[in-house]
Formats: sequence, C-alpha cells, structure tokens
Amino acid sequence: MKLEQKNWEDRKNDFCPLDLGLFQALERERVLEVLQRDKALRTIDADRVRRLRVELHGLCLQTSRIISRPFGQRSCARCQRVLGKFWDCGSVCCGCSHRICNRCQVVRSAHDWKCTVCHAYREFKIKSGEWFLEQQAKKFPSVKENSETTGDKMLQSYQRLSFIAVVPPTPPPFYNPPSFNRLEEHKKPFTKSMENLVASVSAHIKKLSKSQNDLSEVAGQLTVDHGHMMYSRRKSLSDGAINRALCKVPSLPILSTAQSTSTSTLCLTDDDVSSTSAYSDDQRDSNSSTGMDSVLFENTISVTGEIEVVLAYNNRTSCLEITIKACRNLMFRDTKKKCHPYVNVCLLPKKCHNFKMKTAVRKGKNPVYNETFTCVLSADLLSSAVLQLSVWHSRGLKRRLFLGETLIRLADMDLEDTDSQRSLCCKLNPKAPQLGGDAELQFTSVLLLIQAQFHTLPHNNTQTHGVLLGAPGQLTVLFTDVSKLLSVSKTAHFEGILCLPGHRELVRKTSALKKTDGSIRMSFSSLSQQELQQATLTLNLWEKNCLLTSARLHKESSWQHLQRMPGVWQEFNLQLQVVQT
Amino acid sequence: MASATDNRYGQKESSDQNFDYMFKILIIGNSSVGKTSFLFRYADDSFTPAFVSTVGIDFKVKTIYRNDKRIKLQIWDTAGQERYRTITTAYYRGAMGFILMYDITNEESFAAVQDWSTQIKTYSWDNAQVLLVGNKCDMEDERVVASERGRQLSEHLGFEYFEASAKDNINVKQTFERLVDIICEKMSESLDAADPAVTGAKQGPQLTEQPAAPHQDCAC
Repeated sequence: MKLEQKNWEDRKNDFCPLDLGLFQALERERVLEVLQRDKALRTIDADRVRRLRVELHGLCLQTSRIISRPFGQRSCARCQRVLGKFWDCGSVCCGCSHRICNRCQVVRSAHDWKCTVCHAYREFKIKSGEWFLEQQAKKFPSVKENSETTGDKMLQSYQRLSFIAVVPPTPPPFYNPPSFNRLEEHKKPFTKSMENLVASVSAHIKKLSKSQNDLSEVAGQLTVDHGHMMYSRRKSLSDGAINRALCKVPSLPILSTAQSTSTSTLCLTDDDVSSTSAYSDDQRDSNSSTGMDSVLFENTISVTGEIEVVLAYNNRTSCLEITIKACRNLMFRDTKKKCHPYVNVCLLPKKCHNFKMKTAVRKGKNPVYNETFTCVLSADLLSSAVLQLSVWHSRGLKRRLFLGETLIRLADMDLEDTDSQRSLCCKLNPKAPQLGGDAELQFTSVLLLIQAQFHTLPHNNTQTHGVLLGAPGQLTVLFTDVSKLLSVSKTAHFEGILCLPGHRELVRKTSALKKTDGSIRMSFSSLSQQELQQATLTLNLWEKNCLLTSARLHKESSWQHLQRMPGVWQEFNLQLQVVQT
Repeated sequence: MASATDNRYGQKESSDQNFDYMFKILIIGNSSVGKTSFLFRYADDSFTPAFVSTVGIDFKVKTIYRNDKRIKLQIWDTAGQERYRTITTAYYRGAMGFILMYDITNEESFAAVQDWSTQIKTYSWDNAQVLLVGNKCDMEDERVVASERGRQLSEHLGFEYFEASAKDNINVKQTFERLVDIICEKMSESLDAADPAVTGAKQGPQLTEQPAAPHQDCAC
C-alpha cells in the first residue's frame, strides 16, 4: 500500500500542463474503447431479449385459440379440456382471471399460483430487465429514450473526434504547422549569424592586412626620419651623415634666435606633415582591395626623380611667386602605359595658409610645366611657411598614384632681403614621416613655445615707488600650444618667477592646464627697462606639489630683442629640463 | 496478458447468451481508494500494486451462479477524480446496484461517503441497492477509520456494510454475492408489487364472466 501511495505521488509530480492536450486525447481514446465494448455487449443482450420475446409470443398464440363450445359447458382456457360440474372443475387465475385446470397451474406457494402464460410473462420481465426499466420510468419518465440516446450520442460524437485524431500517425496534424514554423525560425537566426560571422572574419582579415601595411609604412617612415631631419638637396645620406645628425641634437640650445625660429618651424612642419599623412591614410581606408594593392605597390617602391622650381617674393605686393618648371626622372614602372604627372602646390602649416594649387597634367617621365602660382603672404609669416610640392600620376577616374614630394622651408631662402629669384632643383622623396622617431620625440618634448611682449606704461606721479629707475613697464608671457605639449598631465600648472636685481622676485602662477584649451597668459608689472636687462625668467611646471620640468630665459640678447620692438610679440623656444630628485 | 484476457472475454461475450439475468453494478468512491483493484480481484482474480488512475469509465463482465440461476454481471468502474464526474454520472441511471467504497487509511475518502450517497439518490432510481465497503482492511496499522464508525454510517444511510481487502482477497466475493442477492430480492418485490396493476388491467374484460359464476351456483 505504501508503494501504491508513492506511485500516486510520482504520478502527481509527473503531470505537467504541456501534456494536457495530449492527455485529453488519450482520455478520449480510453473512453471510446469502453463505449464501443459496451455497445457490443448491449447488442448481444438486445438479441437475447428479442429471442425471449419471440418465445413468449409463441406461447401466447398457442394458448389463445378459443374453441367454441356449446353454451353451458366449461373448459380450461389454456388446454381447452372440458371441465366437470362437480369434480375437476378448475380455478380462476389471479393474474388473468381465466378458469385454469389443475395441470396448467404453476404453484409458487399454497396461496400463490399462476397460469402458465402469466408465469412466462413474469419470467420474461426478469430475464430481459423489463422490471428495472419499469421501476426507472417512475423517476425518469423518458428513460428509454434517454438511455439509448445518451450512449449513442456520446459514441457518435467521439467517433468523429476519434477519426480526426487516429487517422494520421503521430503527431496529429493540429501540431504539425507550429513545429514546422519553429524549425524555420531556428534556421533563420543561424543563417544570419553565419553571415555575420563571415563578415566579421572578412573584416578581421582586412584589419590584419591593414595592420601589416601600417607596419610597413611605419618602417618606411623610420628609415627616412633621419634623412628628413638632415634635409639636403642632391645628396644621398650616408652613415656618417646620420651620426652627425644625432650628435647635433644635444647642441640645439646654443642656437641663435633665428635658428630657434627655424627649429620651431621644423616642429610645426612635422605636425602638419603628420596630419597630411593621416589625411592620406583616411583616403586609403575607404579604398577597395584594388586600392589596397596600389597602396602595397606604393609602399614597396623607391621614389626617384627631381623637381625644378623657382621662388620669388615681391615686397611691394607681399606676394610669393612659385614657378613649377619641370620634373625629371619620375618613378613610374608601368611600361605599358604612359605616365601622366601633375604637381600639387600648397603651403604648410595649413592652419595659417589656405593656399592649394595644382598644375596641368602632362605626359612622360620628364614633363615640362612652366606654370607660375601667386599667393599673398606677409613678410612676417614668410619665415614660418613651408612649401610642399607633391607629384602624382593621374589615371582619369581611377585613384591617383603618388610619385614623390618635397618640402621647402622658405626661411632658408632669404627671400625678404632681395627681390631676386631663387632657382631650386629638389629631390623627390617618399611620404613625409610621422612622429615616429625617438630623436624626434625628444626634440619635440624638450621645447617650450612661448611668446613674450614688453611695453612701457604711462608715467604716474601718484606712485609711491620712487625707487624705480627709468620708465615702468610690463612683461607679458604667453604659453601657446600647451595642451599639445603637455597632454599627459592634466593637473599640471606653470609657475613663473622673474628674478630682478636687488633681490626682487615677481612670482606668478597659472591655473590648471586642463581648464584652458588655448593659451595661458602670465603678466609681470612694476618693472623697468633697466631691470629687465639683468632679469632671469624661470618657468616651472608643477603637478601636485611635484616639480616636473623647468625652463629659463636669461639671455641679454632676448631682452634686447624685446626692448627694441616694444608692443610686439616675440617667440622664444625654451628647453625644458627634467628636474632630478 | 491484458490483450489475451481481452480476447478471451470478447469471445465469451459474443457467444454467451445463455444466462437468466443481467445485472449492472457501479463501483463509486474517491480516487485511489481501490475501486479498480477491487474489480480486477473479483473479475480476474489478480492484483497489481502499482496505481494507475482510471480514465473516465471502464467495465468488466462476469457470469456467476446464484440460487440455481445464471446471472451475468456488467460491473462498471468509475474514475473518482472530479473532472470525470460528468461522464460517470451518466451511468448511474442504468445501474441496478452500487458499491460505495472508501479507504480505511484515508479519512477524507470516508468523509466523502455522504456526498457520494447524495449523488446516488440524485442520478439513480429510487430503490437502488448500495453496499458500503471499507477497502484496504489488511493495513490495520494505518487504519484511521474504525469499523464501528463505518457500520454506523451505513445504518444511517440505509446501506449494508462490508470491510474488504482487494490485496488479500478478503470479502471481495462476499460483497458481490450479497449485492446480487439484494438486487434479486428487490426485483421480486417490484414484480409482486406490479401484479395488482396487471390484475386490475385484466379484470376489465372478465367482468361479464363473473355474473355467470354466481348463476351456476344458483343452479346448484
């Protein structure tokens, strides 16, 4: 019994709503089976009852024949035997009230007997169940109709359901469409994910190829970096030249003001060349695989050739005249097709100048242009401008091919003093390198770009300071491009200490560099010209009470330069030295 | 095994028309009290410990000899669960006798006897014969319903009372034989009660004959 109860509990646990539909179908099958068995049994019983009814009817017919007798004579109602007056006169049946002879009586008890017909009818009722139906009719008047109809109705309705449920093999057709749709739904995400996977794999392959290309470019730039620093015309670099370039780097602080300006130009040039290269890289990124092949071709080939150019500066009109004469020995290795070169002319840095022109397209590896371009350029900006000449091969609607370029620093041309022309023949070089070299980084990081200005203030008698000698003035220091120079430290700030003779010190501090994106201004007032002659300006870079670097401006020539042109900004490049603790 | 049994019963059912009476009996009661096991013990003399809930309704046929008569019994087994109630009550009408069963180890099944009795009175004929049977009497250690309580309830409801065990085959045959006996008694009573009606119906045509009888007496 415990096992039975356990099974009952397991049965309860196994029941789950998902199987309710199937369970009901199984239930219908079980009930239908029972109903069919019951119908068969009732058919058999009905046949038996019919036979009983036939027998009863036969018995009634046999005994119902009435033989006419002369009036007054009595006979048995069942066997028609003549009854006597005094003996063997028979009795009246309690059931049918007919006179019955002794032999035709069925005796049940001393006071209870019936004739053969009445007894047979009673037996029929017992055997056929008629007695029960009569009793049932007392409570349910339409019991006959209901009894037959209910069972048959159930069987017929369930037969229809059974036909639907049984004819197809499992699963039934009602469940087929959802499962089919479910399979389809499973297929679609798989296909999409496969497509995404293939796309990502392709993209990954492209990225790998691109990164390899970038490595090649960086290697190329590294190779040419030293050559660029030691810019020279018609001169191939040798190991000795490279070594000399490296030795010269530490001696930069001793350069004169003019050379400092030149160094500043170099820095600006490098930045803009870097942006130019980035722009070219952007163009390459959007190219197709054919473009990538072209890029590979471009990186692996060595650039040859020269470009002839004439430069002149017109002081009256403040115009720079650039004449592109010709190119020679251009690099173009496709022997089947002709070379269609043209020259792009632009001034760097692009922030200051918006000048960009290009020549017509010529044919051959030695094209002749003789085209002159004129751009307005003030004498002040002349010393900081760089001319970029790049040669390209035009292919109609296709992407152009790079053939070489050259950079000309206008400061080296001495164009301000004379009106004469300078004719140059420059060697064409590959793409300008980005800021990849170590020497380049050191060179850039140790310089601090500032602009200084000194102007005299109006004389005021109310001042109590009688100690000042000469006219009072004010020194203003402007830090430019600080964010670019000090991108690593956001909480750093500058401290300026101006040491004057007589043990006087003027101390100024700037706010945190992250708060200012442009330039930082620092002013020193109550200053005379004579004191400025012997002054020393110290600029300290602090970060969280920790001194990072320091720079000094203490040369007499610098102060003289400021005094000679009051009210004019002068640029200085100060070397930042790392403070050792 | 089951299929063989079904085939045997099928043949027997189709060929066997030689019986005197056919009684329909219904077994009702709460789920898992042992109705199906009780029927299988009586019809097949077999017992299965594993519980399988009956789906809807089922029946078995058995022919017995009682008082020199061959009586064919169609014994209906019903599902005790509530959700099959509409199917099972449809067969109350055709049942001549009922076996109302409870589990002596299950107080809830005994408490439901009153409700089952109400259903019998509602859906069956007025003189339905009912036997109250307390099943699983072999589990004496787990008994929660005393025999005296069962007997008192049966007297109150007007039923006869048995305690039986389908597992150990205790009082199974006696229960069915007693039910057959009381159905036969009720059958005779109903037929005897119907006789005056028959007599009344028959007396009409015979009224003309009765005056003749006294006439004969006058001649004597």
